[in-house]
Amino acid sequence: MMHVSPVREPLINGEKSYNDITNDVMAPVRAKPGKLWYIGITVSTIVMIFGFAMIGYTVWFGIGKWGVNRTIGWGWSITNFVWWVGIGHAGTFISAILLLFRQKWRTSINRAAEAMTIFAVMCAGIFPLIHMGRLPLGFFILPYPNSRELWVNFNSPLLWDVFAITTYLLVSLLFWYMGLIPDLGTIRDRMKTLWKKKAYNFLSFGWKGSARHWHRHESMSLILAGLAAPLVLSVHTIVSFDFATSVIPGWHTTIFPPYFVSGAVFSGFAMVLTLMIVTRKALHLEEYITVGHVESMNKVIIATGSIVGIAYITELFMAWYSGVEYERYAFLNRALGPYAWAYWIMMTCNVISPQLLWFKKLRRNLTFTFILSIFINIGMWFERFVIVVTSLHRDYLPSSWTMYKPTWVEVAIYLGTFGLFFTLFFLFIRVFPVIALSEVKSVARSSAKKFIGKPIKNKTPEK
Amino acid sequence: MEKHNIPDAVPFKFTKKIKTALGIAAGIGLVALLWAVFISQAPASRIWANLWMNAIMFLFLGLGALFFWTVNALGESTWQINIQRILESMALTIPFALILFVVAFPGLTHIFEWTHTEHLDRILQMKTAYLNIPFWMLRLAIYFIFWSFFAIYLRRVSLKNDFEPQDNYLRRVRSTSGWFMVFFAISSSMAAWDWLMSIDAHWFSTLYGWYIFSSMFVAALAVIIIIAIAFKHFGILPNINNEHLHDLGKYLFGFSIFWAYLWISQFLLIWYSNIPEETVYYVERVTHFRSLFYLNVAINFLFPFLALMTRKSKRQPVILGSIAVLVLMGHYLDLYMAIMPGAVGHENAKIGLLEIGLPFFYLAAFLAIFFVMFQKAKPVPENHPYFIESSDYENL
Amino acid sequence: MRSIIYGHFTDELDLLNAVKELQNKGIKIDDVRTPFPVHGLDSVLKLPRSRLPIAAFIAGAIGGSLGLLFQIWVFTRGWPLVIGGKPFLSLPSFIPVTFELTVLFAAFAMVILFLVRSNLGPGSLPDILDEEVTNDHFQIILTDRNNSASEAELEEALASTGALGVKNIKTDN
Repeated sequence: MMHVSPVREPLINGEKSYNDITNDVMAPVRAKPGKLWYIGITVSTIVMIFGFAMIGYTVWFGIGKWGVNRTIGWGWSITNFVWWVGIGHAGTFISAILLLFRQKWRTSINRAAEAMTIFAVMCAGIFPLIHMGRLPLGFFILPYPNSRELWVNFNSPLLWDVFAITTYLLVSLLFWYMGLIPDLGTIRDRMKTLWKKKAYNFLSFGWKGSARHWHRHESMSLILAGLAAPLVLSVHTIVSFDFATSVIPGWHTTIFPPYFVSGAVFSGFAMVLTLMIVTRKALHLEEYITVGHVESMNKVIIATGSIVGIAYITELFMAWYSGVEYERYAFLNRALGPYAWAYWIMMTCNVISPQLLWFKKLRRNLTFTFILSIFINIGMWFERFVIVVTSLHRDYLPSSWTMYKPTWVEVAIYLGTFGLFFTLFFLFIRVFPVIALSEVKSVARSSAKKFIGKPIKNKTPEK
Repeated sequence: MEKHNIPDAVPFKFTKKIKTALGIAAGIGLVALLWAVFISQAPASRIWANLWMNAIMFLFLGLGALFFWTVNALGESTWQINIQRILESMALTIPFALILFVVAFPGLTHIFEWTHTEHLDRILQMKTAYLNIPFWMLRLAIYFIFWSFFAIYLRRVSLKNDFEPQDNYLRRVRSTSGWFMVFFAISSSMAAWDWLMSIDAHWFSTLYGWYIFSSMFVAALAVIIIIAIAFKHFGILPNINNEHLHDLGKYLFGFSIFWAYLWISQFLLIWYSNIPEETVYYVERVTHFRSLFYLNVAINFLFPFLALMTRKSKRQPVILGSIAVLVLMGHYLDLYMAIMPGAVGHENAKIGLLEIGLPFFYLAAFLAIFFVMFQKAKPVPENHPYFIESSDYENL
Repeated sequence: MRSIIYGHFTDELDLLNAVKELQNKGIKIDDVRTPFPVHGLDSVLKLPRSRLPIAAFIAGAIGGSLGLLFQIWVFTRGWPLVIGGKPFLSLPSFIPVTFELTVLFAAFAMVILFLVRSNLGPGSLPDILDEEVTNDHFQIILTDRNNSASEAELEEALASTGALGVKNIKTDN
């Protein structure tokens, strides 16, 4: 049993026993869904279906139904893709990198954040697929043996993306599900009806809590975290390569890989905060996802947000310092050109507003955090918009300079992915425990109010 | 408070034996320098560039330790409290680095092309608003003033807590660390542009500052590991156990990978885009410094990556220590690759007696200051609120 | 025919003490079941370190080298194409895919081996003795098969450690 200093803030409030933890976290799975849930899932499903219908519309009539043109070939679609992938970075960051750094507060939020990651990556994956135009030929991106003996282009960053995002989705899914099986076992044993018991036993892979299994499970989780940590970095790095390997001013800059990763974690945490501040209230989990947790997440937000801010300024400075007139123009055009409004929305939301979090009072204020998190979500969307559209609309050839406006079809598809995301999230909170039960229990003794300062019996011997 | 079996640290004495050893090392360095100046008559640019490189490395070790110290304070981390005095004493070398910088100042014109204001080409003329001696000096002064201030101030807060536990200790350390981090985030990148990137004055890369930061941090970690192992071995810090080494080893492992990540990010993007203004940097290095170029990656990435992968190698002082020594040399090479091709040129750049001998002088100076600083305080911050946590934890 | 004797604890510290007490009496513990990984239990039970990391390393090495070799083959033998003026064998651009495949193989191999070694998986039917072990009970399981002591002695020993609700059931497997 490790010592915990009394000066630390407890991770769980209220004097919870292990049984209380089980009951509190399981409550939404056990209870009959309320009115709000039905309204929520109905609305999001309708939006989702509408979005998918618009995808069908695009496939049927062709990409001409979008606002993209020959100069600006990547419009909202790629903006949304990068935005969703970015949001999908928080979950695995929380569960992998924070595990490696032994941050115990992650236990209360990792499950929901990881689920969010998976849903966000699924939303992201839709966009490049439809952008390729012929959805039924989407399998062409895979290197499969074919009669033409032609392979995919391994030199292309777009193909690296295929590998990176597929791997990320699969490994995140594994990581998430392996964390879930003990908790599904817990749910199975609390269920009264036989078919539910059987269903949850199937889902829990027959978990029985044996010490040997736990021992192996911990070892596996650690290595999976070790694998997932560079994987998180690699995914947005490779997304940034889509831009940075080009020669387009504003796209080609070496800071892109780490800066994209930082931005991704930034936006991901903002989305986690947006969702968790509502979820903790709706599911009555305030004692597990405490103000302290929100503060910790806000600290990550301010760190990553400031890194992003420094990257913006570095880019701006280097554009001047390089002495390359195209570079200089690209950045002048961002700040003062026809799309300057997008640039300044991005700057305000991403760089200036998170600086308010230096104040402890605001870090611990839930209403403020909620509003700020929405600002960041908007700001990070505009960051991608600035990168994609502003850089393209005026590049080397002035005769091709043009503007871009999305059509209602593009807007509807974007909204549709929100529908998909929330539909999945609403289903998730009904079927799976939103908080990692066993992980919270394992830190409960050392981090709950009642246990803090309790003398240590049984110090384990030095090996 | 319940009882914990934490062994008492032994106050460190900067003995005559250590002083003699450091004196000999410093002597070797001086001989190497004098040899290069008078006997082998090395070109001036090579000598000045060497003084510059070693001064920067000297600073990086202290600055990296200060970063590690403050980032742990901000993250409310505890395991490193047992080695915190090592970090503090290393950070206190920062003000002394300024002297070493000043020593190299007369040679700036040999190192930096943009100082020849009488014949600058069009591109460099555009940069004179930023790259000019007065502004450059001013920036350097600001970096040093603030870095030194934070190191000395944090040390004072830490020492004060030794005499009497302060209620607001953690809060003060944290807020000061926060301010430092803000300053460091900007200054570390700018210093890298000023002192290293502007050697190749035409070339530019936005990632450069972060890349140099990662190299600095890994080098400082390697030194922290070496000192921690030595102090454990000689019984000065007996409460450093395998868990601490394991964590330090993980840091070295992780940040070696991080360094490689930034290295390949910068290289791959420039290689792929193939824009002549940018590729010039790598063309020079790949054509004229071929073996060193690949050795750099091998020694700083492949080697620590493979060697530190197992749990055992991170927990064995001998193995971990030798890896740390090699990685430290690797990052010295990385700095060499950053400076020499631009400052000295491939005709004159060499790895000779000067490059191998001179670091001994700087290392001896670094350790001498470090030992003096370490001697001044208790070897562990016993009143730190997290002190017990640091001796009582386990890695999975 | 064997007997399974088990008892419960409500506090993991009591469990750790009980395990040590039983071991001091020379009794072999068949299994311990807990609702979460109890810190220090694996060292008390002297469970060997898992070899899953080694498996992950090997699988990752296989995945990475297969990925790299395949890309090299495609671009030098299979169907060489000049793209962006790059040489056929442009190793830097093979790094991303190689890395992803390394991670993919390592992760999948490790999870699959974990499930196989632990006899877990979809459809696996566990022998659950008490449903509270996934909630807040810590369970020690003894069996007469790997202990020389008699059933009664085992029950006695288990009860004397403070275990609650000691039970003895017979099974055929």
